[in-house]
Amino acid sequence: MITVSHLTKRYGHRVAVSGMTFDVAAGRVTGFVGPNGAGKSTTMRMMVGLTRPDHGDVRYHGVSYTRLQHPTRVVGSVLDAGAMHPGRTAREHLHSMAALSSIPARRVDEVLHEVGLDTAAGQRAGGFSLGMRQRLALAGALLGQPDVLLLDEPSNGLDPDGIRWLRNSLSEFANQGGTVFVSSHLIGELAMFADDLVVVGGGKLLAAEPVAATLARGETTVVVRTPDAADLVVLLDRHGITVSIDGDRLTAKGTTLTAVAQIAFDHRIQVVEITEASRSLEEILLDMTGASAEFVAA
Amino acid sequence: MTITANPVATATPVGTVSASTVDITPSFLTTAHGGIVTRTRQDDLSAVPAAIRSEWIKLRSLRSNRAIFAFTVVAGIVMSFVLATFVKTDPYDHQPFTAAGSFMVSSWLTLAMAVIAGILHFTSEVQHGTLANSVAAQPARWVLVAAKTTVLAGLGLAMGAAGMIAGYASAMASGMDIGDTSGIAATIGWTLVLTTLGAMLGVGVGMIIRHSSAAVSAALVWMFVVENLIRSTAPASVARFLPFSAANGLLNIRSAGDTAATLAARLSRTQDAFLFAGITTAVIAIGTVLLYRRDAD
Repeated sequence: MITVSHLTKRYGHRVAVSGMTFDVAAGRVTGFVGPNGAGKSTTMRMMVGLTRPDHGDVRYHGVSYTRLQHPTRVVGSVLDAGAMHPGRTAREHLHSMAALSSIPARRVDEVLHEVGLDTAAGQRAGGFSLGMRQRLALAGALLGQPDVLLLDEPSNGLDPDGIRWLRNSLSEFANQGGTVFVSSHLIGELAMFADDLVVVGGGKLLAAEPVAATLARGETTVVVRTPDAADLVVLLDRHGITVSIDGDRLTAKGTTLTAVAQIAFDHRIQVVEITEASRSLEEILLDMTGASAEFVAA
Repeated sequence: MTITANPVATATPVGTVSASTVDITPSFLTTAHGGIVTRTRQDDLSAVPAAIRSEWIKLRSLRSNRAIFAFTVVAGIVMSFVLATFVKTDPYDHQPFTAAGSFMVSSWLTLAMAVIAGILHFTSEVQHGTLANSVAAQPARWVLVAAKTTVLAGLGLAMGAAGMIAGYASAMASGMDIGDTSGIAATIGWTLVLTTLGAMLGVGVGMIIRHSSAAVSAALVWMFVVENLIRSTAPASVARFLPFSAANGLLNIRSAGDTAATLAARLSRTQDAFLFAGITTAVIAIGTVLLYRRDAD
């Protein structure tokens, strides 16, 4: 369990993170989403003691990160997958990390096997692909057998097979009681395995809720094709349903397929086609964070 | 392939259900009495040996450090050979070079390489992002400083010894007379002090400047240009307190900027050692303060 309380960080006059407060539950995957410049990376760096907050703190089971006796045995983090010396082999890189945390050397080969880098253990990291570096970084996070994983954009550079491997691995980790806190721009991917979401924008918390609650924010749209479009528009309007019309196609917002079908049936309106569409998580999140986006394309 | 969460089996398993609450505190966080284990100052002290092991792995795993060490040996060999074969006599006192009097000539180059090795050991961590990994694993940043300076001290010591051994062997093999050996032990001792401190100084410089090229450039410009300029323009009573004036004194050599006045005003070797050590300590202290104040990224 992670408790983030009133986390604030300023760089000069710029407020990077302001009063961030949320909990991350154990046994669940929590997605951390927001546009570029929202404060995600700054928040995650404060969560592992790399950046000192101006106010607030982060606690793991009630203990501040910097007060944990062996931090990497509690929290495994990947904030920069490229954080490795190119001249060092994968095994040497992990050995130096294991030695620093007094983790047995045998764990190095174990985690290399877990992430599928056994055969590349003796290769210098400078020759690794982006996906291999991601796997090596994840191996480093797993060295201490932590019960919390903090990952910043872990899917970057992974091929579809790698993304699926990561998704399944993190879900399994959470199923075993671990805490997973992962930031990602791949909203569609996150939607497939995240249980909760923490949404930030402009350095502020916008929402911290289950994924289902976020999806419920999206308005359902019902599209109807009917030869009696004009009549159906009048009927739907009488029921307070907002409708737009395009030839024989009506688009009704904020209602359900069942409700529209019932209205048409009750008034003997012929329906040729009727479909219901929910807004994607990505569209909902873009709406939530749109006003706070720091960099917007023209 | 499975990533496992907290597989350590203990007497207090995760998810223990009592009559009214669910205890989800991971077992490795709890003491035998159920309290949360937090870091103490003793834990930080106990972590220093592990940090030293980690820094040693980092040091020995890079080919660049082996290249620096090899360069030190080659420099020792080459400089003694050149002195014996081409220069032959000291341009200041016109006496023939002897092995006992010239074996440490390359040590000034060794010192420069030791400083560079120290700089790069830290700045490469910043450049490649591994400093963040280290700070995340060891929030007591002074432990990292202690480990880095300890390991680099060892490297500096080894480089100094290797350079002198190579220089002496090359001098003898090149036909130099052995010369007066009465001062060899003192020269060896002070040279090792110098190269050891030089590598540690490099770590401190790296912690302050953080950028590899800038730090190395600044160190070399200071060593080879700035101090010579100061020595040739400032009063000797002031110039003798420069760090690499102290280095020259420890090696008992003269630099391009030295004059009769600066040589006459030199401190004793013991004073030079304390001066260089004091400056090294101050630079490391400043670097440590900055390490705590700056974000570790």
